[in-house]
Amino acid sequence: MNSPARGRPPIRVVLVDDHRMFRTGVRAELAEAGAGGLVEFVGEAADVESAVAVVRSQLPDVVLLDVHLPGGLGQGGVDVLRGCVAVETAAGVPVRFLALSVSDAAEDVIAVIRAGARGYVTKTIGARDLLVAIRRVADGDAVFSPRLAGFVLDAFGAAAGELAEVDEELDRLSAREREVMRLIARGYQYKEVAKELFISIKTVETHVSSVLRKLQLSSRHELTAWAMGRKLI
Amino acid sequence: MPTPYERPPPGVEMTLPTRPPLARDRDGGLVAGVCAGVAAHLGVRSSAVRWTAAALTLLGGAAVPAYLFLWAVLPGRVSPGAQAAPGQSAQESERSRWLALVLLGAVGVAAGIALLVPTSSLGGSLLVPGLVIAVGAVIAWSTLDRAGRQAWLGEAVPTAPSAASGWLRTGLGAALALIGILVLVTRGQSLSGIWDSLLAAVAVLLGMAFILAPWGVRLWGDLRREQEASARASERADIAAHLHDSVLQTLALIQRQSTDPIAVTRLARAQERELRSWLYAGPEGSEASLAPAVTAAAHDVEDLHGVPIELVVTGDRPLEAHGQALVAAFREALLNAVRHGEAPVTAYVEIGPQGVEAFVRDRGTGFDLEGVPADRLGVRQSIIARMERHGGAARIRRREDGTEVELTLPALDDEGATP
Repeated sequence: MNSPARGRPPIRVVLVDDHRMFRTGVRAELAEAGAGGLVEFVGEAADVESAVAVVRSQLPDVVLLDVHLPGGLGQGGVDVLRGCVAVETAAGVPVRFLALSVSDAAEDVIAVIRAGARGYVTKTIGARDLLVAIRRVADGDAVFSPRLAGFVLDAFGAAAGELAEVDEELDRLSAREREVMRLIARGYQYKEVAKELFISIKTVETHVSSVLRKLQLSSRHELTAWAMGRKLI
Repeated sequence: MPTPYERPPPGVEMTLPTRPPLARDRDGGLVAGVCAGVAAHLGVRSSAVRWTAAALTLLGGAAVPAYLFLWAVLPGRVSPGAQAAPGQSAQESERSRWLALVLLGAVGVAAGIALLVPTSSLGGSLLVPGLVIAVGAVIAWSTLDRAGRQAWLGEAVPTAPSAASGWLRTGLGAALALIGILVLVTRGQSLSGIWDSLLAAVAVLLGMAFILAPWGVRLWGDLRREQEASARASERADIAAHLHDSVLQTLALIQRQSTDPIAVTRLARAQERELRSWLYAGPEGSEASLAPAVTAAAHDVEDLHGVPIELVVTGDRPLEAHGQALVAAFREALLNAVRHGEAPVTAYVEIGPQGVEAFVRDRGTGFDLEGVPADRLGVRQSIIARMERHGGAARIRRREDGTEVELTLPALDDEGATP
């Protein structure tokens, strides 16, 4: 882990998952991976209502959010995100959400991302990687799994050669964003991506955040068609 | 009474193209489709059959019991495609059918009203009002037979025109039957007497409807709930059967092999994949395209070695000889990665218009191609040489923390691009 993390206060985390065994497992694994001083668990919840209540009372830095949850309007994690819109921590930073699920089906991923989650990892992720992801999300950066990157390349037509003329275009990726996504899909960590493209990690993070923004705001047919079918828009 | 029918398998009609089986034509018919069905079976025009039936009805009424008998006995059949007379569009036939129906109803209503006039000599007979009631009942029940039964069985929702014609039929039939009953009951009475009894009948009907409505609503609700419950139960049974065949069997295997961690990992991973593809539908495309082929290769390697491979595939294209070579080389690269490298093994295949790029990456100590003994043909032959033979290329990069194999294929030429 990088040195800057040592000086700062622990990241306050709320864990939302309806399986108690999984919640216990995540806490134990993170403690084992040396998260003691880096991450502090301040609350847990097992359904939508209690999750919203815990987040609003604890104002954590990061919420680890399961995609499928009982309660609410039946949309699990998306309902939690809707219920916590504009909730800020004591420091005035928005509460960030990292989605955590066994399912890597595109519908689930895109639903929580478009509802405001800053990243998506599957539950098979290792403890060290999860720790990195939590810190990244707490810093306001985005966390993409290889599969999410692959989905982005597909959905934006980047794999088929569609590229944006200007970076600001919401419905297509820029050439650089495409390169970054391709490397993430190949299993590269951010620092490996940076090294491969001769750019700084900060620049990689900027590109990924920009892709996340496009993923949330774009009205590309591939991203909106199924959402309309589920009355999410 | 119409019997519930089973749609004849398509083969039946194909083996008997010249003479369709005797069945009611539920789409082409005016009332219950008996005449149209008989006409189709005999190979004559349906109007001829209809006129014959009408003539027989007038000459002693022999056609009426025959018609009712056939209606009750013959299975219904939805006419395949355009069963309308040749040269007549479906819409035209629909319109003419409506016209015939309205005319028939109007004639019936007029006849009924004529019967109500007490001076009519026919008013005294029992036969005519009975006939009117029967025709009314037939017309009203024909709706039940067709649209009603479909809706009740939870099949396709009746389309708007057929629903409208259903209401028309029901209304006409009910009016005819009502008139028939009135004629039967009020024979020989004055007009005011008829009017009084009509009012009384309507009042009784309304009262009965008012009393019975809650029962009807509850009965209807119960029926719907029961249908939903049975649909859910059958879905649950499907899921249970699937889980039993796959997940429970795998869990049993895992318990028996719990001392062998590799076998447990392999079983769990294979089961996870299978369950995922069942829940979320696997990679799209036919068996004969590239994306499912590379996915299958990765799954094979996973099953062989019990090492999970994180595979991401984007795009797809038809599987031809070059693609097959890529799949084989990809598989070889994966085998190397799981044998000599360390987890996690990641693989990314991008199939685009510019060509195919496949990457296989592991986190092992890596190997030096120059250091590989010359007798080890795996990498040189089955990866590099194979890709080059098919116009592609293979590159092996040694990184600080692992090895990455990169396979590329050029875009398909035109004749290959169209499957």
